[in-house]
Amino acid sequence: MMKDLQSFNIKCVLTICFVLFFGKIKAHNGCLWPYKSHTDFGVLCDLCSCSTSSGSMGFGTLNNANFVGLRYIYQKFESQNGVFQNSPKSEENFNTYQLWAQIPINNKYYVTANLPYQDLTRSLNETTQNINGVGDANIIAWYKLPLIKKKKNNETVDFNKTNQTAAHTLLFGLGVKLPTGKFEEALTDNVNPGFQVGTGSFDGIFSAGYNYAGNKIGVNTLLSYYLKGENKNEYKFGDQVSFSTNVYTVFKTKKINIMPFLGLSGDSYSEIKQYNETLNDTNGTIVNTSIGTEVNLKAFVLGVNFTAPIHQDLFGGNVQSKNRLALYLNYSL
Amino acid sequence: MKIVKLSIALLMCAIMASCSSDDAEDLTGETGNIILKFDNGVDGNDFVFNTEYSKSNNESFKLETVKYIISNVRFKDADGNTFMYPTEDNAFIINEANANNAGEIWVELTGVDAANYTEITFGIGIDQARFALGAEGQGDFLEQAEAEGMMWSWATGYKFIRLDGTYSDGTVTNQALNMHMGSVGTTLDNYKETTLAFPNSIVVRNDKTPEVHIVADLMKAFDGVQSVKFSEGYDQVHVDEVETPIIATNVAAMFMVHHVHNH
Repeated sequence: MMKDLQSFNIKCVLTICFVLFFGKIKAHNGCLWPYKSHTDFGVLCDLCSCSTSSGSMGFGTLNNANFVGLRYIYQKFESQNGVFQNSPKSEENFNTYQLWAQIPINNKYYVTANLPYQDLTRSLNETTQNINGVGDANIIAWYKLPLIKKKKNNETVDFNKTNQTAAHTLLFGLGVKLPTGKFEEALTDNVNPGFQVGTGSFDGIFSAGYNYAGNKIGVNTLLSYYLKGENKNEYKFGDQVSFSTNVYTVFKTKKINIMPFLGLSGDSYSEIKQYNETLNDTNGTIVNTSIGTEVNLKAFVLGVNFTAPIHQDLFGGNVQSKNRLALYLNYSL
Repeated sequence: MKIVKLSIALLMCAIMASCSSDDAEDLTGETGNIILKFDNGVDGNDFVFNTEYSKSNNESFKLETVKYIISNVRFKDADGNTFMYPTEDNAFIINEANANNAGEIWVELTGVDAANYTEITFGIGIDQARFALGAEGQGDFLEQAEAEGMMWSWATGYKFIRLDGTYSDGTVTNQALNMHMGSVGTTLDNYKETTLAFPNSIVVRNDKTPEVHIVADLMKAFDGVQSVKFSEGYDQVHVDEVETPIIATNVAAMFMVHHVHNH
């Protein structure tokens, strides 16, 4: 009883911390009301949030459990910096630290939220440019539809099963990406348009997923569409389609569960628009494979995910995505 | 459910915010700046001094001087109106030696009428009208051109482009190469203009300075509209009435707008 109470308290405190932190940042940037963005101070948010903090990186963990946690993502890009074949290449190193959570509302609904801190560095010859700050947050409300098999002998459905993990689940998500990060118009000069802490826009996120949790293997598949908004600089990142699928298995020991996985993911970006005109060489696609594992120890989940591109054509071939590494530590709710 | 409602409310806000109306702006009297970035290259590569570049006819060249004159810069907007930059300030020497770290030579135009421009026109060299203003009518530009070695005598006039270096082929090595093309007084007019459409409109406002990235492919001066051979006299081009118009045509066609930046 005492133990239960303690655990409940931890959950409460963590949840409240998360909500408070999240709320505070939003208030600070005046993000809740778009028209405030017309002042230079507190500019509103994202390609980054989409390319670095969500999209094909997923919004949750393998077993779709509720959690609050921290995720770190490292990404590296190489960009052709100039208009000639022999123009120098710049290297972009993106470090993203995310506070992320999946919080249940009831049996059918839950919410995922994600607040990144971006630390981005770009090196060209001997000069280095760094931008950092709070990135673009997103909140997605999810509806979970368990597909329950009817029992063979009678036609009644066992509604009690909804409390347990169903083998097949469909997920539908509707969310918004907020301009909590700062968009700097001057940075649009760069070949890699992802070199921004935020996009300065409100974006809609529409997701559909399918999860299968069997005894030996599980499969998570997610397809998301990002409807990008225009920011105050009349700059609109291209709409984005992202997919990811992971296949995992479980090795159980007395104390820990190890869940290795293999994944395939991808993003497709439409062209960027500025002043309602399409900018050349700003669309692209990338397909990645990933390998990783989650380790469950009591209420903690430690995850590692290494991602390598297998096909890419980003921004007219001028930007090359290198390998990506994600680490996360979650506390299950 | 509160959070769901809040999310939906935020989404609605986002949609509403992105649907704000675009009222026609009144730009009367408003001016802004434009930066032209000239970027010299050779056949898709960034130009580097004293680097050997191969051309047709088994010839190669190395250059140590790359200069040209740009004038009569003007812009056409989406409605077909033309903004001509003020004549007295509308001649520039583009000197590769003055390029910044990125290899670009910047021309900063100020006091440009606010508008959304779709194309640029400029002349290579100096036209007869400006030349007819006489030495006094040239303002500071005459002095500047003399200092840069872009003049013969006043009577002969300006050198529109100046490419100095050496060339080699199968039989000769590092022979002097001096291509100085211009008009010859009032008897031979080699002034030519080029009009380049922008891939995207440039938006000029008092708080918006667009940048136009212009690439000049120096190879086209030699292997352009017409290919010329150094070994057949094009190693020394000065005031020849046959050679200079050919080079003038080649040079006028060596420019392209690679991209623009609006901010």
